[in-house]
Amino acid sequence: MTPGVLVVIPAHDEEESLPRTLAEVRASAPWARILVVDDGSHDDTAGVARSAGVPVVRHPINLGVGGALQTGFRWACTHGYDIVVQLDADGQHDPGYLDALLAPVVAGRCDVSIGSRFVSSTGYHAPWNRRLGMLLFSGVVRLALGRPIYDTTSGFRAYAKRVIQVCQHDFPKDFPDAPLLIALARQGFRLEEVPVVMRERTAGQSFYTLGKQLYYPYKNLLASLMALIRKPV
Amino acid sequence: MYFLSRTQLITALGAVLLALTVLELVRRRKLSEEYSVLWVIASMVIALLGFSTRLLTWVTHTLGFLFESSTTFAFGLGFTVVMLLYHSLKQSRLTIENHALARELALLREEVEALRQGRSDLPR
Repeated sequence: MTPGVLVVIPAHDEEESLPRTLAEVRASAPWARILVVDDGSHDDTAGVARSAGVPVVRHPINLGVGGALQTGFRWACTHGYDIVVQLDADGQHDPGYLDALLAPVVAGRCDVSIGSRFVSSTGYHAPWNRRLGMLLFSGVVRLALGRPIYDTTSGFRAYAKRVIQVCQHDFPKDFPDAPLLIALARQGFRLEEVPVVMRERTAGQSFYTLGKQLYYPYKNLLASLMALIRKPV
Repeated sequence: MYFLSRTQLITALGAVLLALTVLELVRRRKLSEEYSVLWVIASMVIALLGFSTRLLTWVTHTLGFLFESSTTFAFGLGFTVVMLLYHSLKQSRLTIENHALARELALLREEVEALRQGRSDLPR
């Protein structure tokens, strides 16, 4: 039996790319339920999702990717789902990989599986500054955990129920990457990377934009350090 | 009572004026008691140092400041730092609470919609 899988799609001003993403998820995973978390959009993201017949939780203000995901976790818990898949609305993540992503979690081999661009050569090219950041934080995670996680910023992940139950109460609000992975591993959750190919976004912008480029490394380094030294919740 | 300089007198009177302003703001319910505490303590300490030259001189020598005016400034600056840190803490907590409230509101709104539409996927 397939366990109850909820695909949570955090969406901020994604009315353009959302319909296609929803259709793709439905086509590749008809057995999964979808929840769109509209993170304070100014466009018709919620309307687009609703007309596709997908439940929408609408944030009155922008809470960030992590905040939206946490809302998805809360919803999944109250509705009794077993696994949550996090998938971007912008079309970067190919739902064709859902099966591969879910497999280790369903089999109980790990608690969080991460769709990774870097486990094997998947032809992903990023600008140098992003690549530097990714290298830095995968190094930070390797230092903290003693084992590598290559794609720390991947927003294509599957979370087992135990993780969801913990994370619905405590979750990093802006970017759930390196610090989150360190915190999860320290709580004894098993992480595993699954190779995926990611596409170019069809619309919208990366969350990692200009002004944040200076703040982000600082915040993430500090948060990683804190995740390492503070007592797991 | 004697003053080392006109600045000392002005500082002392300024501190009293600040304390009175703070208390008046509390009376008018513009400032909560909680936030007034640090302000009242700060202005009282500065006023005390300003009006008692003996105390000011003693503190200055004990802490090794070169001038009495530096002592007053140091205390003022110390309070400013404490105050700012306190506000940063408060603001961080308010942000967390604010986000939690927004999340609950969003979830409830969705639940209301589900109820209205008679959907079957209600929370268990």
